[in-house]
Amino acid sequence: MRCAEIHPNLAAFVLDGLEPEEAVEVLRHLASCPRCQDEVRELQKVNRALEAAPPPADPPSHLKDGILAQVRTAAEPSSSNEEEREGSASLRERQRSLEAPRSDRSKNLRIILPSAAAAAIVAMLALGVLFGVLREEPPVATVQLVPSPQEEAGLEGYWGVAEIRPQPSGNLQVKLKLNNFEDPKPNSYYELWFVSGEKRISAGSFTSVGEGETRVLLNVPPEARNYHTLLITEERIESDPTLTQEIALKGEVP
Amino acid sequence: MMSQRADEISDEQCMTRLTGPEVEAAISALYDRYSRTVYGVGLKILGDHSSAEELVQDVFLKVWRSSSTFDSSRGGFSTWLYRVTRSCALDLYRKRASRIHQVLDGDPYIAATRDSSAGPQEEVDESWLSWRVSRALEMLDPPHREVIELAYFEGLSQREISVRTGMPLGTVKTRTASAFKKLRGELANQDTSQEAIR
Repeated sequence: MRCAEIHPNLAAFVLDGLEPEEAVEVLRHLASCPRCQDEVRELQKVNRALEAAPPPADPPSHLKDGILAQVRTAAEPSSSNEEEREGSASLRERQRSLEAPRSDRSKNLRIILPSAAAAAIVAMLALGVLFGVLREEPPVATVQLVPSPQEEAGLEGYWGVAEIRPQPSGNLQVKLKLNNFEDPKPNSYYELWFVSGEKRISAGSFTSVGEGETRVLLNVPPEARNYHTLLITEERIESDPTLTQEIALKGEVP
Repeated sequence: MMSQRADEISDEQCMTRLTGPEVEAAISALYDRYSRTVYGVGLKILGDHSSAEELVQDVFLKVWRSSSTFDSSRGGFSTWLYRVTRSCALDLYRKRASRIHQVLDGDPYIAATRDSSAGPQEEVDESWLSWRVSRALEMLDPPHREVIELAYFEGLSQREISVRTGMPLGTVKTRTASAFKKLRGELANQDTSQEAIR
């Protein structure tokens, strides 16, 4: 066989992807063709490099959503008040300050500050950064939770909200604040669901204190971002929680 | 003036947009181009999907937060991103090792098996080659990448690839040969020196 006929098979040959009779043809040709031998040596280098390649795999799609949500949250100013707007806008600056090489930060301080005042101002800056980091980010959504009709009569003075915040892990944190939400019946508990049509994701279970304010922190995976209805159902212990149980509260993500 | 779309601009231009109003589009474009490589190298170094996912998240948040440390005059974006990935992977590796150590200390079987594994530095040294090969594969267009993935990673013969994809056998062979040629070119064009990643 001529080189032109063998050439298209050489890559498949080093990949061991030819049929046995084709491989024999290639071997027969290589025995008498130095040029094709050189070509095979080059192709074998590529084949060996592939040994180092990571297995082809796509990261799960929710990862990108989680990263973009964090970028969005930090980049967009909050509309609730001026102080929060400043906090949000300065988040990048705080992050940059924390990420910047230590030597750059200290060099800047040496240039700007007289030594006597430096310690005090550095301490104040450190406290500012600390409290800035510790301060809770504003929620991306606040959902009003409304009692279902059968619960309404027994919930005098009731109000409830769910604040939703994206977390670094991509999960969504849900902070429930329920006022005068009666405690569940004996052998029962409450469960928070994110619902979309027939699909649902549980955010976890909890109980309430009845009179006064009940605060609960729950988490849902990032996929819950596309589930726009929140339901709190009352579930019985030792039975499978399903959406057919009694719905106590309901809310729609704006 | 109409601005260029983020997916049409270079990596370096995307980096300059991380401090402006187009930050989300810029980080999204960089993610689309590099997340498979970061994830794949994470799987190689850290060995499990959960850690590799954590790595992807850490790396792209660090790219966003540390964009000012990128200096295009010192090297390309890919090399800089590799350094970020290596650093984050080592952090995760150590964090995980310390967790395992705390939980399993005193278990003689685990202690014996743990010592036999490669350390983080050895894993990371090998990861530079993994990174370069992964980048070379990602630079192939999807049809060429597909035949290489099916042939190399799934071990299919050319005939089996033809059956699987519905492509004529001749096209599979031509595409495989062409993909190898492109891979060779990509690998030759990369900065292979260890200095590049220090």
